Amino acid sequence: MRGDLGLVMLWMLSAAKECDGTSPPGKPALVGCRSPEKETFTCWWKPGSDGGLPTTHRLYYEKEKEEGIHECPDYHSAGNNSCFFGKNYTSIWVEYSLRVVAFNALGNASSDTLDIDVMKVLKSDAPEAVTVLVDENLNTPCLNISWKRPSKVDVTKGWVSLTYELRVKVQTGLDWMMFTEVAQNSLRMYNIEPGVTYEVQVRCSLDHSSWSDWSKATFVEVPGYFRNQRLVWTLVFVFSLIPFLAAICILILKRKLVKQWILPPIPGPKIKGLDAQLFKSGRSEDVANALIANQNFPPTSVCMDQTEEYLLVSESNDWLLTDPYRSQRKKKSLLTPSDLNLDPEIQREVSTPGHSDREKSKSSEDEKDDFTPTSRCQSKENMSNTEPLLLPPPEKHQNSSVNVVNEDAALLQTTCENVVQAVAGYVDIQQGENTQEVGVEQWAYSQVKEVDETILLIKSHNLPVSSASQPREGSVAESVPTDYSRVKEVKGDNMVILHKDLHKSLCKKKEALDTEWTNQNTKMPHSSDCSKGMCLEMIGDGYVDSVPRFSTE
Amino acid sequence: MMAHIRPVSAVWVGIICLVFSSRLSTMKAASICPNDQTGCHLLPLANLFDRVIQHSARMHGISDDLHSEFELYFLPSKNQIGRVSRNCHTSTILTPNGKENAQRIAREELAEIILKLLVAWRDPLWHFHQSMSQHDEFTNFSSNKSLEMSDMVHELRKGVLKVVEKMQMLGIISNSVGDTGSPEALLTSDSAEWRFMKDYDLLYCFRRDSNKIQNYLKILKCRIVPKHGC
Repeated sequence: MRGDLGLVMLWMLSAAKECDGTSPPGKPALVGCRSPEKETFTCWWKPGSDGGLPTTHRLYYEKEKEEGIHECPDYHSAGNNSCFFGKNYTSIWVEYSLRVVAFNALGNASSDTLDIDVMKVLKSDAPEAVTVLVDENLNTPCLNISWKRPSKVDVTKGWVSLTYELRVKVQTGLDWMMFTEVAQNSLRMYNIEPGVTYEVQVRCSLDHSSWSDWSKATFVEVPGYFRNQRLVWTLVFVFSLIPFLAAICILILKRKLVKQWILPPIPGPKIKGLDAQLFKSGRSEDVANALIANQNFPPTSVCMDQTEEYLLVSESNDWLLTDPYRSQRKKKSLLTPSDLNLDPEIQREVSTPGHSDREKSKSSEDEKDDFTPTSRCQSKENMSNTEPLLLPPPEKHQNSSVNVVNEDAALLQTTCENVVQAVAGYVDIQQGENTQEVGVEQWAYSQVKEVDETILLIKSHNLPVSSASQPREGSVAESVPTDYSRVKEVKGDNMVILHKDLHKSLCKKKEALDTEWTNQNTKMPHSSDCSKGMCLEMIGDGYVDSVPRFSTE
Repeated sequence: MMAHIRPVSAVWVGIICLVFSSRLSTMKAASICPNDQTGCHLLPLANLFDRVIQHSARMHGISDDLHSEFELYFLPSKNQIGRVSRNCHTSTILTPNGKENAQRIAREELAEIILKLLVAWRDPLWHFHQSMSQHDEFTNFSSNKSLEMSDMVHELRKGVLKVVEKMQMLGIISNSVGDTGSPEALLTSDSAEWRFMKDYDLLYCFRRDSNKIQNYLKILKCRIVPKHGC
């Protein structure tokens, strides 16, 4: 009975205590330990319930092969619920056996034992001062990443070795680029994209133990285009511009040459032995000399009247009534716009009647066919292409048109009666001495005795050479080319009356004669071929068809 | 003509060999430092140290791997082992347990400690390898590693002896560091102990000691040739 009462009392007392809410502390738990530099270490614990009463915790440890239980030397340096072991208390390669005991007024509670070796709990702080720069000085731009070791770690004595690890990623990306086993304090990363922001983190490990936390992320923005790329492109641009500018300068400086090359000048007439300057100077005598320098004219008798040197061609009928020879005295330059004056030498070269055969004679059969202006002109054209117009080699029978000279000669001869008969008015292709071998019967020219502005007299019966001339004449009258004056009427044996209107170039104005002559030339269908240079036509009717023109540039 | 070629070629070969051997001998004698600058003559020593340290690092790596494998295979319960049973046979060798301690003791003493450790582990590792190869549960990989470990202890000891020789030649340390005693003496004192060690404990102890060796070598290098990468 008393025992039961005692038990009940005890139970009530303990119940009364519990009803106060206090109790001995709960069992704490050791969380772990860590050594940041292999010289010190810290341990943390987690306290249990405090039982409503102020509770203190104590850490006790034992070292391997050392007798005695020791208490934590420093409870405060590392914060609450921690124990900091300083350098003097840290031993490497020694096993520590730790436990924490919680004390309060009602009791204590001890945690489980934790065995640690400092070498197993090495974990450094994160690397410091991670700096990332975009390095554009090299040929290939790169990220220059550098960092500092954690400040607590001493690597100088060889006691501890640090190994680093980096990771880089594009800020907006997901995949990290890892760089492991980095022993130095810097790293260069190539293959970076322009215009992208990169994120860099570094961590380290002591003696190849567990890794530290990653450092705070460092961001770097790569510029849109690299400086040296820009430099390269500007250099390329500048250097490609230099030849371009040089070419333009050359073109401007040598624009004349360029113009010549692009638009080649039409070659001027080239008369062998003739100088274009000569014509510019305006000395007719020199020109005439040059023109007939190499000609082998048959010698002609000197005309008595040197003034009578022009060939008059006319379409009007008025002249019919006059003495055909009267107008010999007229001095009209019909011939050339360039005021060609005949030399006495030229006159001398006019052949005698004896030579008239030669002159009249054609070099070849082709000459006959060449009476048409077109063919004639073409022949002349050929000749002009191949050689100077005035100077056909004596052996060449064809396509030689010594037109001007002949004209002049013809003009001269109009003054000389005997000569007139022979060669007056002939526009002939001078063939040289050996023209006699050519078929003379193809001769279709008629002699022009005298030309006035209104009429062209043709002497047809004095044609010693050609037998076919007479029938030819008639045919000439019938089928005259359009650019020739049509014969209106044949009066007698030595007179031919021409139509007025056919050849505009035969228009009568003396003043306009030069132009008319040129017009005549231009109106010829083949005149385009003869536009440059000498293009003297031989007309079946004895017309002087074209005017030598000297194109001057 | 043909008859003369053979003796002639032999003569040429002989001449070439002489030249090369003379060159080799001169190379041996030739110093890397022509002008004997300060610190330059220590370059070969620093290189030796580097090689030895690399060797010890590899040895420690292998021991670490093997220990991890043992933990996987056997999973000894931590309760059983406790700290009492783990008694390495090399615990009689007094080793510095901190940076300051290692800095404080003499270089010769440090070198001797290293050599003692290396000598102490030569036989136990050999026997360990023997026992491992006999057990079927160990893979060939582990067996090869234990053999490699045992060989490395041999090589490392020779390397450290060379370093000590070099240091003694250069006058850095005194001649007191010799071929640390006779290995047989050490063995007889410790012979019983390590035979009773369990394999797992042996591996644990060796892992720790190989780490010690590596660290001591590093400290020694940085104390003797500090300018060559410390």
